[in-house]
Amino acid sequence: MRNDDTAEEPGTTHFGFKTVDRDQKESLVRGVFDSVASRYDLMNDLMSAGIHRLWKRFTIELSSVRPGQTVLDIAGGTGDLAARFSRLVGDEGRVVLADINDSMLRVGRDRLIDSGAVGNLHTVQCDAQSLPFPNDSVDCITIAFGLRNVTDKDMALRSMERVLKPGGRLLVLEFSKPVNPLLEKVYDTYSFRVLPIMGQLVANDPDSYRYLAESIRKHPDQETLLGMMEDAGFVSCEYHNMTGGIVAVHKGIKA
Amino acid sequence: MSGSHDPTVVTAVLMAAEAAINRALELDPASARDLADMAGTVLAIECLSPDVEVFAIVEAEGKLHLTPYSERKADTRVRGTLNDFLALATAEDPAATLINSDLEIVGNTAPLLALQTLVSKMQPDWEAPLVNVLGDVGGHQLANLLRQIFRWGQKSTQSLRRQLSEFILEEGRLSPPAAELDAFFKEIDVLGLRVDRLESRLKRLGQRLAGRR
Ligand SMILES: C[S@@+](CC[C@H](N)C(=O)[O-])C[C@H]1O[C@@H](n2cnc3c(N)ncnc32)[C@H](O)[C@@H]1O
Repeated sequence: MRNDDTAEEPGTTHFGFKTVDRDQKESLVRGVFDSVASRYDLMNDLMSAGIHRLWKRFTIELSSVRPGQTVLDIAGGTGDLAARFSRLVGDEGRVVLADINDSMLRVGRDRLIDSGAVGNLHTVQCDAQSLPFPNDSVDCITIAFGLRNVTDKDMALRSMERVLKPGGRLLVLEFSKPVNPLLEKVYDTYSFRVLPIMGQLVANDPDSYRYLAESIRKHPDQETLLGMMEDAGFVSCEYHNMTGGIVAVHKGIKA
Repeated sequence: MSGSHDPTVVTAVLMAAEAAINRALELDPASARDLADMAGTVLAIECLSPDVEVFAIVEAEGKLHLTPYSERKADTRVRGTLNDFLALATAEDPAATLINSDLEIVGNTAPLLALQTLVSKMQPDWEAPLVNVLGDVGGHQLANLLRQIFRWGQKSTQSLRRQLSEFILEEGRLSPPAAELDAFFKEIDVLGLRVDRLESRLKRLGQRLAGRR
């Protein structure tokens, strides 16, 4: 089911459009997020004209998280989703904000403290590929705009499946393939020309934003990701396109 | 679920409506108290044309949550066209309107009537939350539409209602980046024109100054 252009030489992977060694990718990705952490929220708003907040809101609706539940937000970055979940699960519940990058986590933690949501909130620095949590321990996992940065996505999906309780759900919010070719073109222009310029102006870092644009293109499309989730053991997998398929949210349940 | 519509657009409209309603509620403690008494109530609004399903959930402290997706069991379910709903939302005698309309209701009508009372009293500010999420162009356009519909109430014309359905149907397929780009290019055009005008004014000023010497 996988696209031809996602086929890789053994031992190599994509860093944006550059093919790099697997070991290298992690530190390259870390470099990107280290350099954008402090301006991340601002860039997020500028890049998507604030629409990312709608994408996230709809993802949270799909989670159907209830008071008392345990939620794990992987690649949670600066904590947008975690802050919402913290209110939804209440005092009896628990939210874990996890990210591989300490700079992002720190910005996230500070922001969450500022917004008052800390009692039920924990931060853990960890890799999505090998989650340091017990089997069957979490009601809901979200990963928003994070899976495309992970080197071995199948391994990460399996790790998430292991940590979820049976019946628990995974939501993957990620850039995907626009359903309409015209939209795809406009979007390409936007992400390859406009984004790096904005990255230059706001974060003084066009390369990082060029990487973001490229990594979006290399990410598996809707059907491919659906197949990968099924391969990892998830059932009742489905996805919703948003904004014409520029992003999609995939949902899967642990059997 | 959100039917065939782009969840982004439906979410934007609901988010704006929710923010507007909750802001109005803050200014109207009596209504907020009435609503708080119904905390936990789930009202499903099933619109057939355009085809959208919306859930209004009453939260603690008398706040309202509007969402295109919910797995909670609805206490009340209403089904009808956008026209039926708008007629109800703006009716002076909602009970009579309910009886005479084609709206189909399953379950308890009390939450529906309470919500109707709320909405009909409101002069919500749609603009800020919409501009916030959709940007100036789309947000402003949609806010204008909503405002007209709610200001004119009963008198709101067929055409306005049609415009709203069209907005929901058509704009949803428009990509925000495209719309944003469009707005961006327009702004650049405007800026360019201003610079041109400024230049020619400076030139004229320069000529006048030279003439005086
Ligand atoms: C684009 S940000 C998304 C942040 C946040 N979820 C949001 O939607 O705003 C991607 C995040 O993924 C994190 N990340 C990258 N590779 C990761 C990995 N292997 N495991 C966990 N997090 C990772 C980065 O540090 C970064 O914070």
